Amino acid sequence: MRRLCNTYKSFLKAGIQSGMAYRVNFICFFIGESLYCIVMYFIWKAVFMSSGNGNFMGFNMVDITLYVFLSNLVGFLTSTDSTSSLALEIKDGSIIMRMIKPVNLNLSLLAFELGDKVMVITCTFIPVMIGVEIYRYITLGYIAFNIINFLLFIISVIFSYLIAFYLNLLFGYLAFFLMNIWGFNMLKGSLIKFFSGAIIPIAFFPEKIRVVFEQLPFASLVYTPTMVYMGKYSNNELLFVFAKQIVWLIVFILICRMVWYLAQKRLSSQGG
Amino acid sequence: MIRILKLYKIFIVQHLKKLMEYRVDFLTGAGSFFITQITNIVFISIIFNQIPSLNGYLYNEIIFIYGFSLLPKGFDHLFTDNLWIVGWYVVRKGDFDRYLTRPISPLFHTIVETIQFDALGEIAMGLILVIYSSIKLALHFTFINIVLLIIAIIFGALIFTAIKIACAALAFWIKQSGSILQIFYCTSDFARYPITIYNKVIRGIITYIIPFAFTAYYPANYILRNGKPLYCIGGVVLMSIILLSLSLIIWHKGINAYESAGS
Amino acid sequence: MIKVQNVSKEFKKVVKESGLKGSVKSLFSRKYDIVKAVNDISFTVAKGEILGFIGANGAGKSTTIKMLTGILTPTKGEIEINGQIPYKNRKKYVREIGVVFGQRTQLWWDLPLTETFTVLKEIYQVDDARFKKQMDFFNEVLELKDFVKSPVRTLSLGQRMRADLAASMLHSPKVLFLDEPTIGLDVVVKSNIREAITKINQEEQTTIILTTHDLKDIETLCKRIIMIDKGTLIYDGSLLDMKNKFGKFREINLSLQNNSDINMLRFKEDLNLNSDDFQIKSNKEKITVIFNSQKIGVSDMLSYILTHTNIADISVNDVNIEEIVRRMYK
Repeated sequence: MRRLCNTYKSFLKAGIQSGMAYRVNFICFFIGESLYCIVMYFIWKAVFMSSGNGNFMGFNMVDITLYVFLSNLVGFLTSTDSTSSLALEIKDGSIIMRMIKPVNLNLSLLAFELGDKVMVITCTFIPVMIGVEIYRYITLGYIAFNIINFLLFIISVIFSYLIAFYLNLLFGYLAFFLMNIWGFNMLKGSLIKFFSGAIIPIAFFPEKIRVVFEQLPFASLVYTPTMVYMGKYSNNELLFVFAKQIVWLIVFILICRMVWYLAQKRLSSQGG
Repeated sequence: MIRILKLYKIFIVQHLKKLMEYRVDFLTGAGSFFITQITNIVFISIIFNQIPSLNGYLYNEIIFIYGFSLLPKGFDHLFTDNLWIVGWYVVRKGDFDRYLTRPISPLFHTIVETIQFDALGEIAMGLILVIYSSIKLALHFTFINIVLLIIAIIFGALIFTAIKIACAALAFWIKQSGSILQIFYCTSDFARYPITIYNKVIRGIITYIIPFAFTAYYPANYILRNGKPLYCIGGVVLMSIILLSLSLIIWHKGINAYESAGS
Repeated sequence: MIKVQNVSKEFKKVVKESGLKGSVKSLFSRKYDIVKAVNDISFTVAKGEILGFIGANGAGKSTTIKMLTGILTPTKGEIEINGQIPYKNRKKYVREIGVVFGQRTQLWWDLPLTETFTVLKEIYQVDDARFKKQMDFFNEVLELKDFVKSPVRTLSLGQRMRADLAASMLHSPKVLFLDEPTIGLDVVVKSNIREAITKINQEEQTTIILTTHDLKDIETLCKRIIMIDKGTLIYDGSLLDMKNKFGKFREINLSLQNNSDINMLRFKEDLNLNSDDFQIKSNKEKITVIFNSQKIGVSDMLSYILTHTNIADISVNDVNIEEIVRRMYK
């Protein structure tokens, strides 16, 4: 067991180093995302000014501001490169190098990614959380931070990340079967953004659409953790959304295993 | 000039051939740009389900501005996509060498090499939105209106191009500038909505410093709010000329600083 | 034709520290080193001459070529080619030169070769008659016909190199720069390329500057060589002179039936050789003896080895350039 951990620790370390190496890219990406949040903030502000009363479908201005910044933070934390890194390895054939090593392919990719995330978490998670809470304190006049919601949020984000990881891995495996997955990857990105509530809170959709969207795995990616932090769920609802996250995670892990099994067969039948 | 067009023709024909060969790739590429825009339109529609107007702009007026913003962006994307590659890879790998050993401008040479047909998804969506909202708003276009709008699209696209050139040129010093280019490109998100919703600082920045407001909001205002053509359209032309000159200076300085790559 | 005077080129290089600690450290402070890639080099080349540049990897050959072609601007010194300064009037200057970088193609990856030539024809404004004449010439010396319709990405390395060579000559440049034109090619293709280069040189009186690691390239093509080591010019003259000046070293590769026989080879004592004049390298399978053939003839050396050891296999070779460079630097 310990040796197993050490094996993946090396992937983790490599991930941390690569995260450091691409810090300029990371900082720029972070700035880009922040700009997007600012645009959204101003749009919602204009919406609230135009709507006359301080309420928009059960959200007030503080809620929506929180939602904009938190949902993007969650999207950022749970974003994963597994699609493109896997697809790249499949395309240039270096996947073989992973297959001949005595490690689990999915886990080694995951360990590498988690290392990559260390930088992201320290440089975005903490400042954004502090910023959000300061904003709430200034506008509301009291400290609205809730430790239980915060802890539940962390758990939910971890599930969300794992779901995102396996979902993206699944798209990465498509490279075994498709010529060029670049356009496809973009399409996937914008659809996930839409269905996960990163653009509009799912609560704002018309009732019938909302019910459907809430059951899809995408809601577990961004919408669920954000709403958990904002304390929008009752205890029963909390149980239900967590159950959904766990179920989707298991489903994706199983599908990934299956596809990997099929892909291996395909690889060996083609002789590489 | 004729020489340039001849060159362009050869590359376009080749790209078209490739397009036919990889039809699925093209369709997913263009389709994904198209669908990305649809998700944003859904967002705007949901907002307007609850409110009559946003900062004095009606739903269809917002759609007009949004649709118009896609046109300069789309055309720039169609023609100058290779600048991204310069920023990300070409300089870092030393592949810029070959552009420097040819007797035509390296900038032109890079741009001419690629036509990004994916952008057609963006342009199509832009046209659909502009036409749809114009009909809904019962806008009447005079001949002069249309000419001025076309000028605004061309020079608006040049604003994008200029910013891309300047950012890509940074790679000559720092080896890789794709992510910086990305940031500037992201700021164009601000221009898709009426700039009156932003505070003064942001309005100033996107009007005078990174003047994306001139790629959509001002030209649209010329039609929607009878804005002064000299400011709304003239501003686009002036801004694009200033930016383009600056970016060309940066580009040429960059080429002199180019260090190639080892071996 | 070509005048290079006291040219130097410096690069700034980030010093990277290894490991996780190093990358954390470099987050906060970066150290730079100034690297002198080329240091105070001067030489001239006459019209129609073929000049070979040799030196170890990283010696500064490529940097020099890149300065001569106008890609890099020298930190110090002056370059004048055809009466022009490469990095100043670049666009005008490159019209009169052709460049081939063996390591990377100048061609368009996705275009069929014919289209590549059409594009280049436009870029260099070659007129139709001239274009046809050049293409016929290339077909004759480089045999492009077989693959002229295929996209560049599908060409073999040898085909690609021939195509690259043709592409660089399409506009009949006065000077041709070839940076490792035979790298990675098999023996047959190498000799084809060499023949083509010779023909190009004779046909159009093209001045050719080439860098290579292959001594054969130099011997078949160049009368004159320039040798660079660590950025400085250490030799400029004919190949023959160099061999005489620095000793004509030969290399004997042998494998022994009994490896301990190696102790029987006592060149110093038995043959009166200085330690500068020979060298023995050995690994498990192979023993390499390098020696100065002016001090002891090849046949004498062979008979000495044959009488003192039991040979399983033996061969005599020219010493490669790297070895000569290494010895010269000593």
